[in-house]
Amino acid sequence: MERRRQWITTHEWMVKPTAQTEWVDGQGLLIWLAEVFSALGMGLYLVALFYNNWWGQLAGWFIIVGLKLPFHFFYLGRPWRFWRAIPPFTSAWKTSWLARGMFFTLMYSAFALVQLITTYQLEHNLVAASSVGMVTAIDWVMRFLAGLFMLLTGIYCGFAMSYCKSIPFWNTGMLPIVFVIMGLADGLGLIMGVGLITGGVDFHAIESASRIFLLVNALLISTYLINASYQSKTGEYSVKELLVGKSAVVFWVGVIILGIVAPMAISVISLYAGELSPPLLVLAVLSHTIGAFSLKYCVLKVGIYRPVLSKLPTF
Amino acid sequence: MRYGMVIDLTKCSRCHGCVAACRVEHFLPLHVTWVKLIAYETEDAGVVDVSTFPVRCNQCKEAPCVDVCPTGASHQRPDGIVEITASKCIGCRYCVIACPYQNRTFLSKELDPGYFPGHARTRFEEKGKKLYPHQRGTTMKCNFCLERIDYGMKNNLKPGVDRDATPACVNTCQARALTFGDLDDPESNVSKLLRERKPIQLQRELGTDPSVYYIDGKIGGKDNKAPASAQTGSHIQHLSSVEARAREVFPHLKENK
Repeated sequence: MERRRQWITTHEWMVKPTAQTEWVDGQGLLIWLAEVFSALGMGLYLVALFYNNWWGQLAGWFIIVGLKLPFHFFYLGRPWRFWRAIPPFTSAWKTSWLARGMFFTLMYSAFALVQLITTYQLEHNLVAASSVGMVTAIDWVMRFLAGLFMLLTGIYCGFAMSYCKSIPFWNTGMLPIVFVIMGLADGLGLIMGVGLITGGVDFHAIESASRIFLLVNALLISTYLINASYQSKTGEYSVKELLVGKSAVVFWVGVIILGIVAPMAISVISLYAGELSPPLLVLAVLSHTIGAFSLKYCVLKVGIYRPVLSKLPTF
Repeated sequence: MRYGMVIDLTKCSRCHGCVAACRVEHFLPLHVTWVKLIAYETEDAGVVDVSTFPVRCNQCKEAPCVDVCPTGASHQRPDGIVEITASKCIGCRYCVIACPYQNRTFLSKELDPGYFPGHARTRFEEKGKKLYPHQRGTTMKCNFCLERIDYGMKNNLKPGVDRDATPACVNTCQARALTFGDLDDPESNVSKLLRERKPIQLQRELGTDPSVYYIDGKIGGKDNKAPASAQTGSHIQHLSSVEARAREVFPHLKENK
């Protein structure tokens, strides 16, 4: 075999569209999972709060505290320094969406825990008659605060990504809205799963709401992609990657067919058939969940940097 | 005061001296480079040429990496240099994503296997671990050799003029393509160059206001090739390697006469 001399490698990756890998490949998969659980936890908790379903609220809280936070934690290069990102140990919350997100998530975790306890006590008559008024008041305040911080926790992920001018596909104000609406639609799917196990869920009402959210979501995603393709050459490249490139299978099968079309079809069936059978409900829950995983994966995967020398013929 | 650098592309002889000087100066781990040479191909009447473009952290005045850092580990010094305090970095890599110039590196275990993986560290490496300890799990980037600048300021030296207070890459550049100095001082070498030549900043439209400027906007054009006077053995050696590589990738290339 011919012996070849090794030369210093030059860097071609800055003049060609290069996908970010830090937040989706290797250890970056943890960020993907954390992002997915942010959306699922937010959706489930807010929907459960709206429909007053304690088990749904508990599951939403667990998804955030037991899944999202640990995944974020283990992703960090220096996990035990995490406290440095939390006010008052940092003043970076003025500009950093990550610091804000940490704060929102911790605030939510604390307020929701108190709310879960007070709601449980009130629902099971564990409060002394003389204290019912006070506990009810605390419960409502905690519901408001936990709901608010939950919404902020769900939306900050989108803002953290949309802040990055380096990646045109993310750099749009629509991204946080897409994430929140998709999260709420998935929350509606998950609450049906909770209802299948614990009961006490009005499936008909959930399916009605689901139809609206899925429709809005489909429109939002379409608008988002059209907007991104018009925004810049790199944005257009990202959209092509998503629609016909390496991420196309995940997008069409995961996001469109399983995430939107299948749940929509099931909810339309419920419109005519009335109460859905448990297998169909399980299918709806599963397809919603796979849709959530697929959406975040696709968005992270086609996050392509603007080439540093974008006007070169190579691009 | 705001330190900046002007890179004259017409002088750069692509010798990789700046890359090597930076690696030695900062005892950089095996797979990490702070100064990089971008390679790109151009075609003129069927003749394909490969050019290089030196890049490093742009020390942006409006640095996105500073804004996104959740801990304040990435911060801007009063002299405009963006510094990372490794002991504060949590390794979230948000700055790596947010940097439009892709000039930040997350130091993972894979990037730092030692200079001779599987073998004991060399004395050079051992010394480097003490003099310039890079922390795994944190982000790193070019810092304009701020230890040299700080040393110079303490000893009444002028960065960009006195070698001991000037970044290693600037000192090493054989073609004198790199010029360093205070952008706010109208009499500094960099300010004079900016007045006399037409400088460009990378991705100026993003509003980051980089402190690294490039002379000669004809990127990839014929005028961007180094003059014969600047060509050295290393330059020719490098070009021949690039040409050989280009022929491997594009076997249909015609002879460049």
